[in-house]
Parts: sequence; structure tokens; C-alpha cells
Amino acid sequence: MSSIEVNNLQKTFQTKRKAAGMRGSLRALFKPEYTSIEAVRGLSFHMEAGELLGFIGPNGAGKSTTIKILTGILHPSSGDAKVLGFVPWKERQKLAYHIGTVFGQRPQLWYHLPAIDTFMLFGKIYELDDRETKKRIAFLSEAFEIQDLLETPVRKLSLGQRMRCEVAASLLHRPKLLLLDEPSIGLDVVAKQHIRDAIKRMAQEENVGVLLTSHDAGDLEALCRRVIIVNHGQIVYEDKVSNLKRKFLTRKMVEVRYAEEVSPNFSIDGVEILKVGSYGVKLRFDTTKTPVDQVMSHLSQAGELVDITVSDPPLEEVIAKIYQDAQPGMRT
Amino acid sequence: MKKYLSILSMQIINNIAYPGDFLGRSISIATFIFIFAGLWGTTFMIANTDVINGLTFPNMVWYFMMAETLELGRPRINRTISEQVKNGEVAYILNKPYNFLLYHFSAGLGDGAVRMTLNLIVGSIVAWILAGAPPPLLGWLMAFVTLIGAWILHFCFMALIGLAAFVVEETNSFELIYQKLVFILGGFLFPIDMFPTWLQNISYALPFPYMMYAPARLFVKPDVDLFWRMLGGQVFWVAVFVFLLAFVYQRSEKYLTVNGG
Repeated sequence: MSSIEVNNLQKTFQTKRKAAGMRGSLRALFKPEYTSIEAVRGLSFHMEAGELLGFIGPNGAGKSTTIKILTGILHPSSGDAKVLGFVPWKERQKLAYHIGTVFGQRPQLWYHLPAIDTFMLFGKIYELDDRETKKRIAFLSEAFEIQDLLETPVRKLSLGQRMRCEVAASLLHRPKLLLLDEPSIGLDVVAKQHIRDAIKRMAQEENVGVLLTSHDAGDLEALCRRVIIVNHGQIVYEDKVSNLKRKFLTRKMVEVRYAEEVSPNFSIDGVEILKVGSYGVKLRFDTTKTPVDQVMSHLSQAGELVDITVSDPPLEEVIAKIYQDAQPGMRT
Repeated sequence: MKKYLSILSMQIINNIAYPGDFLGRSISIATFIFIFAGLWGTTFMIANTDVINGLTFPNMVWYFMMAETLELGRPRINRTISEQVKNGEVAYILNKPYNFLLYHFSAGLGDGAVRMTLNLIVGSIVAWILAGAPPPLLGWLMAFVTLIGAWILHFCFMALIGLAAFVVEETNSFELIYQKLVFILGGFLFPIDMFPTWLQNISYALPFPYMMYAPARLFVKPDVDLFWRMLGGQVFWVAVFVFLLAFVYQRSEKYLTVNGG
């Protein structure tokens, strides 16, 4: 059963243009010019009930606009969509009982009050009785490890703590579908991991479908089974995450630091040296062409290692590569 | 209904989260009443009379106290909506299972209840010191009843201006025009009794006196005929504006642009 069905969805915004300076301002005042921006261009996809779907792409790709259309906040310019059987922009309030949303850059918790107050308010808004709300709060507090944070004013919480409370609040009414728009934005590694673990647990225990937008490949790897990559409002790739990793996340960046000054010879076939110094080196290689252990043994033979960082290429790079290789709408 | 009462009480809790700020706000009403009492005192002294167009000096001070309580106590819902549209927070307001306008009505009422109560307490103390004993109980009763209609009308105007934010984002200029109309034609700066007849007629044909003059004037000089006339006017204008607001909201939803990612 599908929880989301999207067919040829389009959203065009009209944006006012203005040239620089006073002259431009006056001209815009008397003779305004508008540019049409196609934020979403003919998107079609579906999502199964209980599925964890990653919806990723660079800034301005149309991810957030799509989420806002799917929650009923924005009206599309054309096309159809059904979320849990509801047409979002026509049945927004009915749909709201069944979905949870988190817009990572916007707070939904009342800023000056402790999170517990917002939780209790949401209980009333979603028409839960007080006993049920309290039971649910106790469960979510344990799942998100926020027991000690609930009575602290939200403004006093760190971003990571606040985000855990935000996601927990969005799950209070047991939604069937969670729409997360950049839930890990601005978080440090530990906070990201906390959020991911809790979301994963909730998805498994309560069979909540998760549609996640992010431009962090880590979110995708940790949470999602399937991925849709969008760019310029169009789907450029759609496949299982395991396939994406196999095909595109094969290039690794390794940075090492040595205890003492070394003069190593780093010329290994298939390895690109990005930066080299007396105490370290940064290099990049394709794991399908150059075995990891070959690179690592070469590096460790050069001297005593004190630090090592292995990272994936930025998602933007992966998308650029996918975009280069694929035509819009390419699906595997 | 329960959810809207919860929003209202949440807003009250939110308002009293900072007691310092909460009390600091009262200073402005005390200052304004002090200045206006001085101006009216001088006017009555120069005119060498105790009554101007049926109103005495204590009437004027208490009238202004009630008008100022309303003016300073009414939340600027248009600014809240405009800010929410600009910073993207409107996304969270719209995706909850409640009516967008009733949400703002409840939150605004919670905000207004706290501000108006505080203004009324501080304003009454200052007015009592400067102009003597407060108006009779009937005045308080009539003011309270007409305050409800005045508040709903004000909400409709502010919400209509706020909804313009769905299209134009910034609404301060509209608010300024509205505020000046209430200041002059609504009887905030001068009770409508002070106007020449032709201006009084224009004023009564518009919704503004029912939002400001009605509770303030009935407060200081309760009058049963005027009370029913004002109440009738409020019912008429509330019906017109609630209908208009619902219509505009339905239309403007489609034009919303939520800023940010």
C-alpha cells in the first residue's frame, strides 16, 4: 500500500527582480519585473507504507517545496499527489492527524517555555486525552533520551537537544508518516547519531514511514533503504541506497597525520594526492579500483600514525557525478 | 474547542514567562495617561469650563485610560502572521489540525487578556490618582460587553492585514493606515462627541468607532440607548468582517510562499 503517490507535480514561484542601486529600486517600484522559478518540475514518485525514503539534493533542488506540498502547506501549480489517501492541499487538517513534520530550520516548540508545555499542548491539539499524552511523553522521553530536558525552557537547550525534542514532539500523536526536512542540519556528529538512532527505533517499533530530506549523505546511509535524488526540481536518480553506495559512494578521502616528520612516497596507482606536508597527507581514491588495505598499509608503513580521518565525498559531488551521468528521470 | 482554549492558556503562560518584561510594559500606559491628563487639564483650564461636549475632565481621563488599555493591549496579529510568513514558521502553524484563523484568534486573545488586564490595573490606579473615582459599575459592565465586539472586529482587521503577508510578506504600512483610522475616526485621540456633526456621521457609518469609542465612551458615561446602538453596530460589522475574512483566507492560502529551505 502506498503512503505517498505523486504524479507530475509542478510548482512555479513568481519572484520579483530588482537591479542594483536606487535606479533599480525605482524601476522595480513602477515597472516590476517577475521571474518564474520552477521549484518542482514534473515530479512523480511513490512511497510504500512504513518505508524509509531519502529525498536528497543540493540547496534549491526543490526538496523542501515538495515536502511543503505534501503536507498541504503549499498548493502545487499542477499535478496530483495523495498522502495516506488525502489530497494534501485540499484536506490539510484531516491529513495533519496522521502525519508528523519537522522542518529542521524552524522551531515548533514554544521557545520561551519548557518542551513539556508544548508536548501537552500538542496532546490537546491532536485530541489525545491527558493520560494518553502523559504515557506517550514518557515513552518518547525514553526513546529520545530527553527525560532531563523536558522541564528546561527550550531557549536554554543546545541545538542537538532541541532537535531531539522537536522530533519527539512530531511523534506524539502516533503519525503513520513522518516528514523530516533537514532534521540534522547544523548538528554535530554525536547529536546527528542520537537523532538518527531514535528515528530508526521509532520507525521500526511503530512502523512509521519516514520521508527524509537532507543534504547529508550520512542521514541517508543511516536511515533510508531507498533514495530519490532531485536537482533543479527533477528526479535525477532513484534506487536503493545500497545500490547508490555501490555505484557512487566508492571514492573515499583519507587524511592522516604522523607522529614525526616523514618523507613518504605516496605515488600509488589510482590514488590522487590532494595535499601533502611533512607531517601528513590527504588523498583520494576509488575503492573499486584501488583496494583500501593497499592504501592503508602504504600509509602506515611511512611512519607512526597519530590520526586518521576517512570521509565520503560531499553529496554535492556525488550528485554532480550522477547528474553528469544520468538524464533526468533516470531510474534503476 | 478544547484545543483553542489550550492555545489561549499557553499564550498566557508564555506571556508571564518573563515577569520583568510583563511589568515593564505597564510603564507606557502610566506615562501616556499622565501626558493626556496634563493636556486635557490645560484645555479645560483655558476653556474655563467643567464640561466640553458633555464630557468632564475625569470623564476624559478615564475615557483615555480605557482607550489606551485597548490600544496597547491588542496584539498585532498581522505582525505575527507576517513574521511567520517571512521566517517560514507559518509551515508549522498550517500543518496542525486546527483552523489557522482560530489559532491566531486564541493565541491573540491569550496575549491580549494578559496585556489588557495589566493595562487596566495600572491605568486605573494612575487615572484614579489624576482624575478621581472610577466610573459606576454599569459603565464597567457596558464596557466589558462591548469590549468583546471591539476585540473581534480588531482581530478581523489585523488578520485581514496579516493575510496580505501571504502575498506581499510585509504589512506594516497597512497596519499604520489602519491604526491612524482608528486613532481619528475610531475616537482614540478624541471622543467622537468632540467632532462636528458631519464628521460624527461619517465616523458612525464606518466600523472604527465600534472598535474603540464604544467601550471607552460607555465606560465613562453609561447610556442604555447608546449601548444598544453600539452593540447593534458591532454585530453588523462583525458579521461583515468575519465573512470577508473567511473569504479572503480561502483565496489567499493559494498564494502563500513559505520562505527558506
